[in-house]
Amino acid sequence: MAYGPSKNRTRTQREAREPNLIPIMNLFIVVIPMLMTIMVSVHLAMIEITLPTQAAGGGGDETEEQIEELPKVITLALFPDRFEIKVEGKKKVIEIPYLSPGRYDYVTLDKNIAKLKEEHTNQGTIEILPDPAVKFDTLLRSIDICKSNNFPNIKYLTAATKYYRAK
Amino acid sequence: MNVASVRVNRTAGGSGFERRKKGNKTKDLNITSLIDILTILLVFMIKNISMDATQKNQPEGMLLPTTITRNELIESGKAVFVKIYTDKILYGAENIPVGSLQDFITRQDTRQSLLRILQMEARSITSVNSQPCLLILADKELPCRYITEFIKFSAQAAFANIYFSTIHTDDRDEVLGI
Repeated sequence: MAYGPSKNRTRTQREAREPNLIPIMNLFIVVIPMLMTIMVSVHLAMIEITLPTQAAGGGGDETEEQIEELPKVITLALFPDRFEIKVEGKKKVIEIPYLSPGRYDYVTLDKNIAKLKEEHTNQGTIEILPDPAVKFDTLLRSIDICKSNNFPNIKYLTAATKYYRAK
Repeated sequence: MNVASVRVNRTAGGSGFERRKKGNKTKDLNITSLIDILTILLVFMIKNISMDATQKNQPEGMLLPTTITRNELIESGKAVFVKIYTDKILYGAENIPVGSLQDFITRQDTRQSLLRILQMEARSITSVNSQPCLLILADKELPCRYITEFIKFSAQAAFANIYFSTIHTDDRDEVLGI
């Protein structure tokens, strides 16, 4: 049995066919909320620290010149009321008292660390010794200041004995 | 640009059908602009999406410190997460409760069970030629005594690479507290 020409065919000839956007809209309605839920709103970062190792004994074959070239150990101690920076071989300890209880002077710390970097260009490590009562935020800010001043290696001292022995 | 429209029949029932038949009272809802916006939004979101596990949002109920510097995980390193809140410790991506901070400091059984888990995890990571890394997510208000204890503790479990998780910012003044 023969059928007559489709009505749609004749309509197509008369006017342009409109694309059916309903499936695309359905897809968008599902995909966009899904992406919004898994989208990263806060970028997390990581800060690396290294653990102290047992100090190696000095080699007997080293000449005096080589010993002089060894970078000085810089220790940053965090106390509840101040920062203290101790440089190996120097008697004077740099003290940075807090501005008010709970408010540390990070700006002065930043300046001092930058100055130390200028003086000890071959040193890339800072030892950090936090007081048990110091907040984690203070520790991280101090580490961040050190790292941003080209001290990429942060050695976390877990015992206070070394610092006080050095003093 | 294609002009797309959806025909909307604003009337209901038989009378509407009759009117449409006459072909003079249909209204078109133009959704072209909506489609444009949604397409831009979709492309933007696909571009910004991150499937990296370390780039997830900060843990609920925890305030992380803010830093400007950032480090990458060492090559062939595999991270184990530990979340230290002010009142509890959660282990791993599954948030297995370990106990309170006081339990961790004082109770030997809590420490022993956590040490066993960490050692087991470190062994399994080492067996696939990777290096075990410990990623500590701690609240910014947490006293450092717990962090120090935890670092000493994790060193016993052969975790030599320790990382602290922070929120990254480009604003230096924020870190300096200005």
